[in-house]
Amino acid sequence: MIQSLVHSLRVYLAEAWLSYHGRFAITSPFGYIASKLGFPFFLMLFFIFMGKFVGYTNPLYIVIGNVLLIPAANGLGGVTLAIRDERQWGTLSYVLGSPAPRMPIFLGRAFYYILDGFVTALLGLAIAAGIFHLDLSQVNFLLLMVCIFLVAVTSSGLGFLFGSISLVSRDGWMITTTFISALYILVGVNFPIESLPVVLQKVAYGLPLTRGILAARLALDGAGWNAISRLVAGEVLVGAIYILAGYLCFRLIEKRSMASGTLDAI
Amino acid sequence: MSRLRWGLIKRQMVVQLQVATLNLYSLGLFVIQPAVFIAVGMLLSHAAGNAMPDLVYSVVGGGIMGMWSGLVFSSTYDIAGDRYNGMLELIVGSPTSLATVEAIRTLTNVLSGLFSLSLAFITSLAIFGYSLHGVNFWGAGISLLLLLFAMWCMGVFLANFIAWSRISTWFVDYLEMPIAFLCGFMYPIRVLPGWLQILSGAIPIRWALQAMNESLLGNRDLTFLATHWAIAIGISLIFLAITRWLQVKVHDSIRLSGELSSI
Amino acid sequence: MDPSAIVASSLNKTFNTKTGLWKTKTKSTIAVEDISFNIERGELFGLLGPNGAGKTTTVKMLTTLLLPTGGTAKILGLDVVRQTAEVRRHIGFAFSGSRGLYNRLTAIQNLKYFAELYALDPAITRKRIPELLELVGLSQRGDDRVETYSSGMVQRLHLARALLHDPEVLFLDEPTVGIDPVGARELRQTIKNLISLGKTILLTTHYMAEAEELCHRIAIINKGRIVALDSPDALKRRISGDSVIEATIQTAQAHILMDRLRILDGKTVVELKNSTEPEKLCIRTPEPARVLELLSPYLNPQYIQGLEVRNQTLEDVYITIIQGEKE
Ligand SMILES: Nc1ncnc2c1ncn2[C@@H]1O[C@H](COP(=O)(O)OP(=O)(O)O)[C@@H](O)[C@H]1O
Ligand SMILES: [Mg+2]
Repeated sequence: MIQSLVHSLRVYLAEAWLSYHGRFAITSPFGYIASKLGFPFFLMLFFIFMGKFVGYTNPLYIVIGNVLLIPAANGLGGVTLAIRDERQWGTLSYVLGSPAPRMPIFLGRAFYYILDGFVTALLGLAIAAGIFHLDLSQVNFLLLMVCIFLVAVTSSGLGFLFGSISLVSRDGWMITTTFISALYILVGVNFPIESLPVVLQKVAYGLPLTRGILAARLALDGAGWNAISRLVAGEVLVGAIYILAGYLCFRLIEKRSMASGTLDAI
Repeated sequence: MSRLRWGLIKRQMVVQLQVATLNLYSLGLFVIQPAVFIAVGMLLSHAAGNAMPDLVYSVVGGGIMGMWSGLVFSSTYDIAGDRYNGMLELIVGSPTSLATVEAIRTLTNVLSGLFSLSLAFITSLAIFGYSLHGVNFWGAGISLLLLLFAMWCMGVFLANFIAWSRISTWFVDYLEMPIAFLCGFMYPIRVLPGWLQILSGAIPIRWALQAMNESLLGNRDLTFLATHWAIAIGISLIFLAITRWLQVKVHDSIRLSGELSSI
Repeated sequence: MDPSAIVASSLNKTFNTKTGLWKTKTKSTIAVEDISFNIERGELFGLLGPNGAGKTTTVKMLTTLLLPTGGTAKILGLDVVRQTAEVRRHIGFAFSGSRGLYNRLTAIQNLKYFAELYALDPAITRKRIPELLELVGLSQRGDDRVETYSSGMVQRLHLARALLHDPEVLFLDEPTVGIDPVGARELRQTIKNLISLGKTILLTTHYMAEAEELCHRIAIINKGRIVALDSPDALKRRISGDSVIEATIQTAQAHILMDRLRILDGKTVVELKNSTEPEKLCIRTPEPARVLELLSPYLNPQYIQGLEVRNQTLEDVYITIIQGEKE
């Protein structure tokens, strides 16, 4: 039992590596990370100056929110891309036709995105800290890393939802990127949730990421495990619900499109 | 281009609209993305405790953002798409130079971006009650024309860079947002640290935009505006000259490396 | 006026490909090496060779899309490197495959766009587009989007596009690839008609029959080099003394038979075709009687199940030459 589990895990990681590697022509890891960090990093600078203009004194608030969004967007995008690519390259029906369980395949595919999102986020934090002379002396780094990793995993549930959309619509990727940009408003990246209209506040607490980011902010102020455990537990719960719901939705759409034969149609 | 070829300009614009612009992606580029930026700008201002956000920077600035992102994205996508589907080769192989085609396309993309700007402007007027009282209309108008010109120059520069190699698309991320934050799309330049302000001086968009924002805020100081306009024109022309010079090199280099087509 | 339509002199093309972004390694591929030929006006010249031989690379150099790394080429007396703009006005080209058209546009919209790129007079464009659609048999479908076309229709539309500005010299790179046999025959007929209109055509293909049917002269190209250049008849005559013996054999015994034939001198080429089922031994020889004598002890179903003796086709010539290159 354990052995077969380890075996399937290895298969998934290897397969995931191939699918991930296939997407990127740049072979040097430095070039790759640099190419990934570019957009979110400069976007963060943009928000920081926007904040400075309206009267924010400490850029750390905006920095940490944006940094956490990097692995989250990666986890979300990773699963979506994994599903979308399979559809585009026409191997999805082949993989899905095999008896292998689906969830690990796609989570496995997203694994490397999550991992590189994690590294990219740390790098972004380090560079921003250097540029803005951020005071990180209080930070509980272990908990911060836990939070970064957590939001990446919980966000991948959304990836199943958007991946499912990309199974039925050829504009799935467009919808996904639109949603990712909406996250910059909703989950407390640049400003506290409390500044949102009440309806949107409700939406925010119904999304993964929100509690994870709050927890990370506490960890940044040096809070210990006790202070953030409730938030972390909430994040895990919401994330689990999304992964499950997204997965069920994906299975449903998969079944329907298999019946109608539209799975590989582009 | 010895004489203006109106037929080509018209046809190229129509094709550009049909093939690239009238597309669901444009909705995201020209409407949704600026809307997100506008929302962030206003909420950020609210969170900082301001009663009223600065509409010129937060709302109209979002439109500028949409214009610029749209331009960068379409310039990248046009060339990459043409390379991918074999069109780039056919265009280069025709008697019309690639530079001409790029120039017309970029013009189309810049003008499409006006949609984004107008939308933002109307939003600030109709929804947020931006008052036109005191606005320096002639200053804003001239500045807008120069802004379009400056954006066009940057777009042509970018298109040439993208044509150079498939790998150049990877570096576009190092152009899009940096230029946005250097030029102060959603805040005045004075917010930037001194050295970044100096750096931003090298980008023509910054001068035209500053003149436009100041005009919208009611500045009628002709010396101030005229200086900004002159610098915007001057640097745009320098960019254009550099682009012309690079174009010859790039168009030779892609014919040497085989980067004209993806296969 | 220069009597030749196309002159290639010692054309060379080496590609340097870099891998990696930071730690770059450069790899050189010699795609075309020292290629020379002369094509007369009104001639249909074939460039024949296996995949990767360098046909497309040669065509791209002649159509100004690639710069040669050595040698020169002239089209109608114009240098392809120095007089690029002039050359482009006088040539038309079409590459195989579905690439090179805007799929979201109709055939007519695509053609109108290219008409502008070639700076055609609007009056001429209006007249020529229907004519060309007629020529390639797409009159009924002109207003349909290209994405609804079959690959054969796309290929014909490519030809129409290449002919828009009525070029004197036409380059067609594997025009019949991916087209069904009937469509391919129609396309070949169209190409013949173009020759009768006085155009010069350089055609590349890896189908021998096509080259044999169409071309006045053929250059066989392999690994970037021209290995033979002559009319189809002359090429056949070159090894015309040869016969081809095809023996259907028992797979397990192939090596015994091949050992047996080894005593023949180098003029006999023995090739094992294991792509067919059952396997065949293909023997090209100037002395068929000697081969049959050597094989006679094995003429029973345990070794040889069938035997066929025939004359050479261009395909045999091609295979002999390409095979000869391998050794
Ligand atoms: N842009 C390129 N970069 C590197 N190598 C290339 C490029 N284009 C072609 N080649 C190589 O040149 C050789 C000849 O290719 P090609 O001219 O396309 O052959 P053919 O058309 O006869 O099939 C091949 O080995 C191919 O891999
Ligand atoms: Mg080829």
